Amino acid sequence: MNEAKDVIVVHELTKKFGNFTAVDHISFQVRQGEIFGFLGANGAGKTTAMKILCGLSLPTSGGGTVNGFDLCREQEKIKRNIGYMSQKFSLYADLKVWENIRLFGGIYGLSSKAIREKSEAMLRYLDMTDLRNELVGDLPLGWKQKLAFSIALIHEPAIVFLDEPTGGVDPETRRLFWELIYETAERGTTIFVTTHYMDEAEYCDRVSIMVDGVIADLDTPAALKERHQAADMDAVFRKLAYQAKRE
Amino acid sequence: MVLFYLLEKEFKQFFRDPGLPKMAIAFPVLMMLVFPFAVSMEIRNINLVVVDSNRSTASSELIRTCTSSGYFNLVDVCDDPRRAMQLMDRNQADAILTISSDFDRLLERGEELPVGIKVNTINGTKGSIGAGYLTSCIRRFQAAQVPASQTMTATDGRMELSAKYYFNEYLDYKKFMVPALIVIAITMLTGFFPALNIVSEKERGTIEQINVTPVNRGIFILCKLIPYWLVAFFVLSACLLIAWLVFDYACAGSLALVYLFTACNILVTAGMGLLISNYSDNAQQAMFVTWFFMMVFMLVSGIFTPIASMPDWAKAITYFNPMRYYADAMRSIYIKGSTLADVWTDALGLLAIGTTMVTWAVLSYKKTT
Repeated sequence: MNEAKDVIVVHELTKKFGNFTAVDHISFQVRQGEIFGFLGANGAGKTTAMKILCGLSLPTSGGGTVNGFDLCREQEKIKRNIGYMSQKFSLYADLKVWENIRLFGGIYGLSSKAIREKSEAMLRYLDMTDLRNELVGDLPLGWKQKLAFSIALIHEPAIVFLDEPTGGVDPETRRLFWELIYETAERGTTIFVTTHYMDEAEYCDRVSIMVDGVIADLDTPAALKERHQAADMDAVFRKLAYQAKRE
Repeated sequence: MVLFYLLEKEFKQFFRDPGLPKMAIAFPVLMMLVFPFAVSMEIRNINLVVVDSNRSTASSELIRTCTSSGYFNLVDVCDDPRRAMQLMDRNQADAILTISSDFDRLLERGEELPVGIKVNTINGTKGSIGAGYLTSCIRRFQAAQVPASQTMTATDGRMELSAKYYFNEYLDYKKFMVPALIVIAITMLTGFFPALNIVSEKERGTIEQINVTPVNRGIFILCKLIPYWLVAFFVLSACLLIAWLVFDYACAGSLALVYLFTACNILVTAGMGLLISNYSDNAQQAMFVTWFFMMVFMLVSGIFTPIASMPDWAKAITYFNPMRYYADAMRSIYIKGSTLADVWTDALGLLAIGTTMVTWAVLSYKKTT
């Protein structure tokens, strides 16, 4: 595990909005191929931090690298190397399944032959071959999320950021979704995931818990449970999140 | 190549939209077939009441001359001036013509005719034009009464005026409005739609998905604009065709120049639309702001009221109004047949405003905040 290189290195990362410090000097590393759980109560600052890591937002101070590229200067290079799937479902609802795959393949500069092959493979893998001509807006949420996840991986990024990917999805689909995540991580893709489901936190290799813009603790789920003398991640999260001072 | 995939997406979305393609068809049809009649400022159907205290052949001849001009609706012929005034108070009469009891006698003697005209000037333009029509009807009547032999003496020493109308010989208001309506159609279409399109991507969150990809922001914006440019040229062509087929109006100047100015105007509206979408978070905001500017642009563009008769401060405002330049150029080219040498200042105005807008829009669109 120590052999693997760090794909995300963050040092003293800070983001302020006026007087409000959303992210307060956080530092951490994420190793290649790791499933890194990024937890925190609503408003703890995790979405802001994630946006900085994706190159959507500039840090106020501090910095770091994502896949070797600087957070402050090389956002567009970072974007080439990451996939992103947001809690807000963001494929085009008025485009068909295959058209969405084709569009994002095209945006990432895949050749039309590569796009065709990828689409076939992806649809077969997701068992959605029959749905290729459906408008994405007509699909059930679980299917949409699986498709969005696969499309986020279409350009074989080094890291994929998942912002509450399983929000509003039924337990069975959630389990299937995590199977997809495991299979992706096994192929060497780093997974950076935020979630509010504590059972999902148990599936992560390491978990960080953000409270009031700072990282309250960061370790493997087992170590966290031991340190905080908790039976499960849910108890760990409650203990740490109750320290929060701000709403 | 990215351009191709993004364009493909925009076109598919455009044609899949339940309203947009229908609107692109309905717009030119409405603009050319309905509005030229609706926005006509020709004053017709003036409600006329005649107080005829004379009741002679001569007086009824005068009334007939007025009504046959086609501008007046004869509401009533009465003897009592008070009744006529009542009709005006009730807004049933726009003008009152009073014929005195000794009208025919005075007419025979060739003395000055005591004819009274009262006009309702709530709408000043309608009132004064109505008064003008009435006066000219009375003159025509007078001229017809004077025997040919007397005409010579009557016109002795007077000036003979003859007017010749240029460019729009029959003073056809529709011909004046057709190019201006095209201006409005194109500006609305290319101003509103790209702005709404971008804001709707913001609302749905899809723009975030795009921002997290390495796509070039210039290309992304360009792909939002190109479909509406094509729609604008389609609408322009449809409008010109309808005007030609239905009204038999042809563009007096070069069609290429009309398209060139339309392209310049698109630069302005596209820039403006993008600018608004960059600063708006939702569709209502974008709609309202765009609507506000469109309103101002239209009212001080010279489309409905001549700029020359505006006060100086209002004239100064029009220099910042892109619609002023576009409307002026379109009317000059379409009605008068002006060439680029005549309307180059309009082109310059449009280009200056357009470049400013587009530069500002591209600079204010940020993938990273």
